[in-house]
Amino acid sequence: MAAALKVVGVRKSFDGFAALDGADFEVQAGEVHALLGENGAGKSSLMNVAAGLYTPESGRIFVNGEEIVLTGPRDATARRIGMVHQEFKLVRPFTVLENVLLADWHGRFAPGVREIESQIRRQAAELGFDIDPKSRIDELSIAERQRVEIIKVLLAGARILILDEPTAVLTDEEAVRLLTTARALAAGGAAVVLVTHKLGEVTAFTDRVTVMRNGRTVALLDSSATDAAELTRLAVGTTVTPPRRASSPPGEPRMTVKGLQAARADGHVTVAGITFHVRAGEIYGLAGVGGNGQTELVEALTGVRPPLAGSVQLDGTCDATAASAEHLRERGLACIPADRFGYGVAGGLSVIDNFCIGQISDGTYGSWMHPDRSKMRNATAGAVSNFDVQGVRNLRQRAALLSGGNVQKLIIAREFARNPKVIVAHSPSRGLDVRACAAVHERLLKARAAGAAVLLISDDLDEVLNLSDRIGVIARGRIAAEFEAPADRQAVGRTMVHHA
Amino acid sequence: MLSNTAPVASNAQAPLVKGRGSGWRMGRINLEVRQQMSPWYQALTLACAVLVGFAISAALLIAAGVKPAALFDEFVVETFTDSENLHSILFQAAPLIFVGVSAALAFRVRFWNLGIEGQMIWGGIAATAVSFYGIGPPATRLFLMMLFAALAGMTWIVIPLWLRVRWRVNEIIVTLLLNYVALNFLLHLLYGPWLDPKDAFPHSPQFRAFERLPELGFGISSALVLALVFTVLSGWLVLFTRFGFYTKFVHDNDRMALAVGVPIGLVTLVSALFSGALSALAGFVIAAAQEGRLTQSFFEGYGFSGILIAFLARNNPIAAMVVAILVAVLFITGRSLQVFYQIPFAMVQLIQAIIVISVAASEFLMRHRVHWVR
Repeated sequence: MAAALKVVGVRKSFDGFAALDGADFEVQAGEVHALLGENGAGKSSLMNVAAGLYTPESGRIFVNGEEIVLTGPRDATARRIGMVHQEFKLVRPFTVLENVLLADWHGRFAPGVREIESQIRRQAAELGFDIDPKSRIDELSIAERQRVEIIKVLLAGARILILDEPTAVLTDEEAVRLLTTARALAAGGAAVVLVTHKLGEVTAFTDRVTVMRNGRTVALLDSSATDAAELTRLAVGTTVTPPRRASSPPGEPRMTVKGLQAARADGHVTVAGITFHVRAGEIYGLAGVGGNGQTELVEALTGVRPPLAGSVQLDGTCDATAASAEHLRERGLACIPADRFGYGVAGGLSVIDNFCIGQISDGTYGSWMHPDRSKMRNATAGAVSNFDVQGVRNLRQRAALLSGGNVQKLIIAREFARNPKVIVAHSPSRGLDVRACAAVHERLLKARAAGAAVLLISDDLDEVLNLSDRIGVIARGRIAAEFEAPADRQAVGRTMVHHA
Repeated sequence: MLSNTAPVASNAQAPLVKGRGSGWRMGRINLEVRQQMSPWYQALTLACAVLVGFAISAALLIAAGVKPAALFDEFVVETFTDSENLHSILFQAAPLIFVGVSAALAFRVRFWNLGIEGQMIWGGIAATAVSFYGIGPPATRLFLMMLFAALAGMTWIVIPLWLRVRWRVNEIIVTLLLNYVALNFLLHLLYGPWLDPKDAFPHSPQFRAFERLPELGFGISSALVLALVFTVLSGWLVLFTRFGFYTKFVHDNDRMALAVGVPIGLVTLVSALFSGALSALAGFVIAAAQEGRLTQSFFEGYGFSGILIAFLARNNPIAAMVVAILVAVLFITGRSLQVFYQIPFAMVQLIQAIIVISVAASEFLMRHRVHWVR
């Protein structure tokens, strides 16, 4: 039987950089096929070629054995290829119904809005989704929006369904639900492509796996006949050992938070009197289901959002409640924000600017009258190579063009350059591949070994358990319980869910 | 240009490429986001855009009855050979430089100062007040006029600045509406207490000789020298100092700037105050160098020109100076076209608009690479 979708020898370059360099891929009807690789391996680019969004420089595309040339996404839809992108393509102020109508490629407006509404209901019921066609997109959660995307693509007739890193934005539970849906679709005869860098998903939910590295296809395996170690070796090129935490006695409290309260922009109080402390030379992990006040806590601690009540002390005595970011940073606070492109870098500015903003205020690069450009350039070049920031082809290139993992490394390079005493890290490895994730963890452990107090806030329970000396569970803006390492995964997980 | 939205960084991450389907197999246009832009390429694109703008404008002028040969004669030969003409251009350039640099400074920190004309009016009023009430000895009179003008402009911009910082009131609206307040106060003065007793026209009495900015010879006015000094000062401040480094972050991503400890409040305050002062100085130089008194329409059109100059100069003060001189060429040449060919002055504004649109369109080519596939 011919493959539902087959691409052969695809090349595609962006501004001289070869993102795809002879990549091959195929998926059969009735299977869930994983496309595995690190960030920047070319997975999304390859799928964008298959979905008609990118025009390849060379390469051939076959659908059900017939060679085709895709002239655009509409053409791909006509060939029954549908893609759910990482960034959802939904119009936020519109309803679900309107979004489905908008994507409808042959303009079936005639059957009437009601007909399409009933189609959405039918499709949603079939997939076990609870979606009201009349609700607005911006009222829906991320997981629900993703379901709308899937319904939209299926109603447009897709039988080849490409899911680009669908679980990156989901909680564990939601991810399992989505992957189960993907299996059900495949069982119904669809060809499902699952683009991912999570090894667990590959072995548990897919039939076959194609591994990509540096724009090339390196392996095609049966998912049942392989394991995490082999996949890591294929995707990364080398084996990655997770960094270990050496035991050492913690020092004096460096950050003491007492009864802190903070509210979201809409006035809703999400940090409801939280109390904890972080000592020198320890990592204090704050585990919790996302949306329990973590974001506002980080903002209040880093001087971005003034707290409503409570106090924050740095170094035991020095009152840092409601201090500006400027003052907090002078006192040795560093922050790795969860929203990298929102709070971490100025995307339109160069790598040099984004690195040097960290230290320019203390005169590292010369007086305020005339900061020394060559000094700045050299410092950045040193940091980029020290912290292994990849994808920097020119220090003057815009930071927005770096991948998420490399932006994170750049942020860490900047924040750690000042030898901070207190580090607030919020979901530092979210969306990063195995290697970048290990690099981030290693940096946090190094900072801990150097005597810094690290506050690690993460929805990823494994990350918190592996790195932390002590663990607090945040639920509804308070500490629900604290655990000493080594903590029992089950006990921590139960506290997270029960109090949330 | 006036939107306050931050660039969508996540979109820029993945190069956006879109194939445009065409019926034939000949080829398709492919677009890619450029990873980086060399300054030379940017300058070249900009120059081409301006040339295209000129070409369209020339076509329009020819259609309106100006002979092609005359066009070249008026714009190029006359401008650079006729000393009278060159003098008027440099004379006209001074206030344009002031307003252009003023807008550039404010826009760099996303403070959308549309109140340039209001600040000019206050600059004119303050300078005239010093003359009218004879404040200070003659030797320091001009300096005091300049100082008071700058202070008046700064004071006037404090209102929208404070409203924005304290209550998040949109400064676009406030600065724009305050122009009308300033204008009506000006008219009150000119039709009331400051009405010229000599001819009873609604303008202030003539300034005395020592209250007027002197000519320095070779057709150079001291107004132009002042404008150049302030341009260099502003250029140094935003292009070379730590302050300038901060303004880039406030412009690109103010949330991030706040989080990494950029003193956003201070940076915005200084930029806006400087902007207000420069606009007011434009009013001062028109009153003290061109008109020799306060008139009721000396500021007209400068608000728009300032925004346009800052836009064409990409908020770079030094470039703003160059653009301001080119706009002055357009103004003066437009005036003679008006006289000799009965071309309406609206044509000058049309030419300005065409050039702005060409440059705005060229932005697309700077950000994207366009090529044919297959």
